[in-house]
Amino acid sequence: MEEKELVRLSQEGNEEAFASLVKKYKIKIFNLAWSLTRDHETADDMAQEVFIKAYFALPRFQFKSEFGTWLYRITVNHVKDYLRKIGRMNKMLIESKKESLLFLEDDTVRKENKYAEEQRRKIVHQAIQTLPEKYHVILSLRDIQGLPYGEISKILKISPGTVDSRLHRARKILREKLAPFLSHEGGNHEM
Amino acid sequence: MKCKNVERLVFRSFDGFLKEEEKQALEEHLKDCPLCRTKKEEYQNILNTLKGEDYPEPLPYFWERLQPKLKENKSYESLTLWKQWGIRAIPLSLLAVFLFAAAILLFLPNNNEELSQSEALLLRNLNPLQETTSLLDREGIEDKSMMLIFTTMEEKNGTRR
Repeated sequence: MEEKELVRLSQEGNEEAFASLVKKYKIKIFNLAWSLTRDHETADDMAQEVFIKAYFALPRFQFKSEFGTWLYRITVNHVKDYLRKIGRMNKMLIESKKESLLFLEDDTVRKENKYAEEQRRKIVHQAIQTLPEKYHVILSLRDIQGLPYGEISKILKISPGTVDSRLHRARKILREKLAPFLSHEGGNHEM
Repeated sequence: MKCKNVERLVFRSFDGFLKEEEKQALEEHLKDCPLCRTKKEEYQNILNTLKGEDYPEPLPYFWERLQPKLKENKSYESLTLWKQWGIRAIPLSLLAVFLFAAAILLFLPNNNEELSQSEALLLRNLNPLQETTSLLDREGIEDKSMMLIFTTMEEKNGTRR
């Protein structure tokens, strides 16, 4: 059955049709929530809440955008709300994370093994988490989820030009933040 | 080409948005600029780290866990709808009461009673019994006989003034 038909049936309260939509999108939604929260259980809770929200908002969905884009928008807004709620707590955590970044640099990043790779990933994600929300979100959508500019523009309701400039700014800040750690692998030290 | 502009082109090159001439200009610049080359390598490393990641799966029985929540929320949704309307009605009813009270105060006829003579005297801080006291203070025979007449009349009628 086509997606539009599934959406239309779900709007009429058909649970089976909605179950098919959940099956199709659950991993994408979970991945997006996970890339923004970096916590397995929280991402799972977020994904469940997104589908509940979507189910009750479906009667208001008017097919002006793709169903997937609409679902992504709900996810981004829902996770943003969550991140804002825990924002104060995070400010304290971020400080301790900054300290742990320095610790990790000395100890593990230089080791070229799987553990070091894991730690490098951790550092990159921790750095992303410390970025302002709008940069954090756009990096997750583009560089982690790999969504095209057009879709990001629809999800965030901003122009493609703004997507371009915001993404540029986000990448620039992230690179500058991580430069001290990344210069060990390949590049020279002329930053 | 300035290094400042190169960074934007480098980022765009990751997205595959560069035109052929931009691509060539970028390559030319990178050949001669180790600083920009480093920047490119650094972000390439970041991207590789982000993209080479294994994503975890959602917890098992996703739909089975979701379904009862949908049912639970269905009843809750209708209940909250009533609650929402109830909450909205509170300020509206308060406003209506306030407007009603204001209307009563504004449009009620002015029933200011005129002050009695003694009240007016009291208001001006004067003794309302001033005239009577002066009469009683007189010790003339006529006054005393008048008082006697009144007393007998009261006794007959069984009333007291």
